[in-house]
Amino acid sequence: MKSDLPASDKAASLQVERVSAPSAFSGFLRAVAAIIWKDLAAELRSRELLSAMLIFALLVILIFSFALDLDARTRGTVTSGVLWVTFAFAGTLGLSRSMATEKDRGCLDGLLLAPVDRSAIYFGKAIGNLVFMLIVEAIVLPIYSILFGVNLFNLGVLLIVLLGSIGYAAVGTMLSAMAVQTRTRDVLLPILLFPLAIPVLIPAVKATEGFLTGAEMANIWPSINLLLAYDVIFIAVAFMLFDYVVEE
Amino acid sequence: MDTKPRLLTILDIITGVLFAIAVGMVFFYAPLEATMGEVQRVFYFHVSSAWVGSLGFAVALVAGILYLVKGDRKWDVVEVAAVEISLVFFFITIASGYIWSALAWHMTVWQAMEPRLATAAIVELVYAAYMLLRQGIEDPDRRARFGAIYVILGFVTVPLTFLSIRLLRSIHPVLFGPGSPNAQGDMAMTSEMYTTFFFSLFVFSVLFVDLLWHRIRLGRLASQVEQLRLKVTH
Amino acid sequence: MHFLQQATPETTQYMIAGYAVIFGVLALYLVSLIVRSRNLKRDMEVLQELEAAEAASDSKKQAG
Repeated sequence: MKSDLPASDKAASLQVERVSAPSAFSGFLRAVAAIIWKDLAAELRSRELLSAMLIFALLVILIFSFALDLDARTRGTVTSGVLWVTFAFAGTLGLSRSMATEKDRGCLDGLLLAPVDRSAIYFGKAIGNLVFMLIVEAIVLPIYSILFGVNLFNLGVLLIVLLGSIGYAAVGTMLSAMAVQTRTRDVLLPILLFPLAIPVLIPAVKATEGFLTGAEMANIWPSINLLLAYDVIFIAVAFMLFDYVVEE
Repeated sequence: MDTKPRLLTILDIITGVLFAIAVGMVFFYAPLEATMGEVQRVFYFHVSSAWVGSLGFAVALVAGILYLVKGDRKWDVVEVAAVEISLVFFFITIASGYIWSALAWHMTVWQAMEPRLATAAIVELVYAAYMLLRQGIEDPDRRARFGAIYVILGFVTVPLTFLSIRLLRSIHPVLFGPGSPNAQGDMAMTSEMYTTFFFSLFVFSVLFVDLLWHRIRLGRLASQVEQLRLKVTH
Repeated sequence: MHFLQQATPETTQYMIAGYAVIFGVLALYLVSLIVRSRNLKRDMEVLQELEAAEAASDSKKQAG
């Protein structure tokens, strides 16, 4: 432990940490973890973001059940679509609120002053947003199952929810970091996000439907591949471009 | 404010003449297609419009990347010009494509929304979002930066979107009518048709360059006006 | 040369609609470019006058 060392050794070990490459990476990871923890801890205390997202998601499902007049038969076929629309809307809420509080409290500027790679901020926020989305989804899925009698406890469905949420949060975090710096803010994020999220939403809905209706894996694989491709590509592109989003 | 270069005036004239020739070829030189009738003539300018839309998108992408790398705002002007032109021409593509396939063949909108047309529609949405993004930013540097980022993100989604929609359609097979334009390879093209087709592509490419040049000049003027406005009303 | 199995469908009206859209939108865009260009040139003139007026009043203030 560093604290056990005499002062001179502590200084030396700090120097070593700053210079060697593996430590730079662990510094990066620590920064990412710190940002995630900051958001999670703040949310654990106030729970205002999660409750807003959750209530919104349940309201959307309620509206759908009226609008689509979901009887037992049609529910089976539209479940996938209803779920993903719900996740997309609730996700938008979480994405914009998370960035907005960051900017309003001046945390964003503070983070930018820290001697850490800008992309650590991106990954930290993105993973935080992802965790919030997953928590809301974890609550909505059982509630939907109970309310509509559709069994959603399917490993395949859970996998798709995860892959889709990753892609959505990856692009959404990037775009919300931009949207929060504009005049039109909250209004702008869904407009920016939805056209770019179509290659997530379509395969996600198709794959979820496939798993729910017990389709052959051969028919589901193309959707999973598309989701994986989207996730990988957009995380890479966001990593390359995020510096430009926050540079001043 | 620069005076209009003579080269541009010459280009305008050439473009006009070429366009007139292309229209003449479409209506009088290209033969009547047997299985589809007159509406097949829309095909020539429909595809050429899609070509220009794609050219515009590619130019916008390159301009966006160059702006981020170099920080020179002239690339931003090029980018906006290219996006706007692409927006106009993809709109023409979608509208003419819809008329050609849906109306002429009495397909439903769902049946007519084949992957390429649907992808073009989504690109239009990306452009609309792009315009709204730019409108919401006052600082010109930030506007340029965010615009470039969104163009790059948008460009990356296009192949994925196309594949997604194709995936969607493969699960719901579409019934094709006789000699439908969606059944590829169905349209037997004579040499006059090929000539008309490639000439249209060429003419529209020239049209693209002409419009892009004009739009870039407009953009430069707009940027000068904005700077002067800030200076005078500080 | 293949033997036609069916009559060529009468689709002229759709061709007209298609080209109406193509030419119409192109024309609208050209008009939009011209109008915007004219407006900007006018704005430029006004602003340049304002700038000159400001420069004149600034130099008067400095002198007096």
